[in-house]
Amino acid sequence: MNNDPKELTAALQSIPWFQELEPKHFESMSSIALLKQVEAGEEIFHEGDKEDYLYIVLEGRIAIDMFVPGRGRQRVYTAEPMDVIGWSSVTPVVRQRTASARAVLPGRVVCLDAPKLRQLCDRDHDLGYVVMRRLANVVASRLLVSRLQLLDMFAHPGKEAAND
Amino acid sequence: MTELIPEVGSTVALKKSAFNQLLATLEGMGYQPVGPRIQDETLQVGPVEALEDLPRGYTSEQEPGRYRLVYTGHPRYFDITPGAPGWKQYLFPPRSEIFSVHRKGKSWTIDEPSDPPPIYAFIGVRPCELAAILVQDRVFLREEWSDPIYRTHRQNAFILTVNCAHPCGTCFCASMGTGPRATSGFDLSMTELEDMFLVEVGSEAGRMVVAGLPFQPASAFLLQTANRLLEDARKRMGRELPDPQDLPGVLLSNLDHPHWDEVAKRCLSCTNCTQVCPTCFCWDAHDQPSLSGDVSQRVREWDSCFNPDYSYIAGGNTRPSTRARYRQWLTHKLGSWYYQFGVSGCVGCGRCITWCPAAIDITAEVAALRKEAFA
Amino acid sequence: MITQIPGQSSAIDTSRPMLPYWAEITKIQAEAPGIATYWLRFLETAVRDGYTFHPGQFNQIYLPGYGESAISISSDIEERDQIGHTIRYTGNVTQNIGRLKVGDVLGVRGPLGTYWPIESAKGSDIVITAGGVGLPSLRPVIYYAMRHRQDYGRVVVLYGARTPRDLQYTHEYDAWEKAGIETMVTVDRSDESWNGQVGVVPILFYRLRMDPRRTFVMTCGPEIMIRFVVFEALARRVPSNRIFVSLERNMKCGLGQCGHCQIGPYFVCKDGPVFSFEQLEPYYNVEEL
Repeated sequence: MNNDPKELTAALQSIPWFQELEPKHFESMSSIALLKQVEAGEEIFHEGDKEDYLYIVLEGRIAIDMFVPGRGRQRVYTAEPMDVIGWSSVTPVVRQRTASARAVLPGRVVCLDAPKLRQLCDRDHDLGYVVMRRLANVVASRLLVSRLQLLDMFAHPGKEAAND
Repeated sequence: MTELIPEVGSTVALKKSAFNQLLATLEGMGYQPVGPRIQDETLQVGPVEALEDLPRGYTSEQEPGRYRLVYTGHPRYFDITPGAPGWKQYLFPPRSEIFSVHRKGKSWTIDEPSDPPPIYAFIGVRPCELAAILVQDRVFLREEWSDPIYRTHRQNAFILTVNCAHPCGTCFCASMGTGPRATSGFDLSMTELEDMFLVEVGSEAGRMVVAGLPFQPASAFLLQTANRLLEDARKRMGRELPDPQDLPGVLLSNLDHPHWDEVAKRCLSCTNCTQVCPTCFCWDAHDQPSLSGDVSQRVREWDSCFNPDYSYIAGGNTRPSTRARYRQWLTHKLGSWYYQFGVSGCVGCGRCITWCPAAIDITAEVAALRKEAFA
Repeated sequence: MITQIPGQSSAIDTSRPMLPYWAEITKIQAEAPGIATYWLRFLETAVRDGYTFHPGQFNQIYLPGYGESAISISSDIEERDQIGHTIRYTGNVTQNIGRLKVGDVLGVRGPLGTYWPIESAKGSDIVITAGGVGLPSLRPVIYYAMRHRQDYGRVVVLYGARTPRDLQYTHEYDAWEKAGIETMVTVDRSDESWNGQVGVVPILFYRLRMDPRRTFVMTCGPEIMIRFVVFEALARRVPSNRIFVSLERNMKCGLGQCGHCQIGPYFVCKDGPVFSFEQLEPYYNVEEL
């Protein structure tokens, strides 16, 4: 974990939705944020972990895998710069990680302390609204991607054509 | 009798007794006259060698899903509106060979059909049917290319139209501007009066045929009688389709109109309408190889947008439901056709209405779509 | 859309437009499981010398005894001696083409259809978004942009396939990058070998920064993928007359004559397969059209 405040501020300012935050909200978020360097192959969180951080990818690539008994680790998604991962730590219902996150390329991530983030949102509903709106977008986007993956749009057609 | 050959655009009178001479003239010029005749108690199109071969005294009762041939004993030879078969089968045969190939080493040689195309004289084409031929001309003979099968059959065909004095229950040529009088595109056009045919000359070929016949000048009285007859006919159409030129806009902006579901409940997707429609042109091509695989014939056959495989693509069908297929047919015929060919695809002949086993009437369907239409 | 009139620089006989021109297979290049590129050279020198095409057009490929299949031309428009066709073995005709060898002969009619607006896009950025077998139709655009790189701003290729094994032309991505074509690839499903992106093609588009005032979008692939790419492009305010899609329908004649390929008032073989979204907008969300 890197604690250089200048580097942290610069990193947060490079995130588009942070740029739109009111200054006091930016301050609050800064106070619960840490920068983390990741190596290729490093695991960021594991399926089953109790959630602790929300992550924003700055550089690199983070693979999201799920373990399927009998089939092993299945990669379901890769998070690229500016993607949010670990959002389950902020949504109320989910109690543990439903997937693992592992860096594929070296990079940096912003880690937001999840319990403290939840506290901030409870105390300041304006900030809470901004954060939840952003997370709603993240989850919606992931849902659409998952649906398209589910539809298997590139699957080879099963039926043989009578005439082409 | 007159020595002068009538000019293109002029009208002469011909005694009915001289019509056989007209047929003989055509035969002498190498044509095979074909026209309406009664066969197996139905109205067919077949060889016509004499006036007596025509369905004199017959008429038809036509309603949605209903056709009855009725003998009333009236004295007219041409007074029956079209049955199921038409002229399309001659210009655009239901099945034809495009070419065949036979193997030659690693490559192939192409053999094109070499039989000389038949030369027909169409006797008794109705104005709506003539309009349909002119529509199909736009489909098969284009600036960029032309279909050789249609081209060779069409350039040889002689067209003798007969204007309609007695439209039937499903006719609406007046709405579509295609009848009951033919205005151009024919070689000869006749109106049948009591003892005479009024014959309008439409082309050089028509002139040549009339030249040797015992025609008389058409008197003002005869011309007036014919006009009155055809004016009356115009007012007695079985159906109407108002403002067809507005339909491309109306239909193509109402593709999700609830009425399509209504029609879909009744339509059987049987393809009857596309078979009897004189403008429908869809076709399919397939190969017919020999057992050895060294020879293959490429065959063209009528197809229909109602056929389930029509819109098949690898992995699925883009129009699996009857609703979608009926909508395609109607919006194409009365809508898209304008954008594609500059005219409506419908000539108002009413055949699709008569021959639909579910009694679907496109004039009624259009009226329903126009009600509460979005445009 | 601009259409090439058959009869000018082509293998179509305007008085007998259903007759094929013979071409021999000079090379067969496996691209991915079930997909290979067939290089064809016309047997007649006059046809070979006269044949030209535009990116996005297709040929009707004829296998005697089986029938024809509409195949996009996937080679460089400036490669005049041989014409490349990337074929996926899906039906009766294509699967039997799969049994042919170099030296065997196929029939060709073409080129047919409308093409990608490489001229109007000059001076702008191009975002090429392809999925699965959509890439072959766009590869000639990539080659053209490489050859005329200074005529365009950013040129981006976003491409995806089902799995890493299904990615086509992987051996060319380096050359594209070196020529200044930004290339981003994703797969729907990963395997152990893959360290690249996992997700769907529209998300590559979603993540891309672009200036809608100077971007042309050219997309081809499964219609559902096209739908979401177009959706995102419109959300970014790319005008609909600068979004181009290539569609596929059942084609028999390739000339706009047999009727099969219609969608709304358009014949996909003649008014397409490349359409601007502006043309398709009124019809695009009508199911089963």
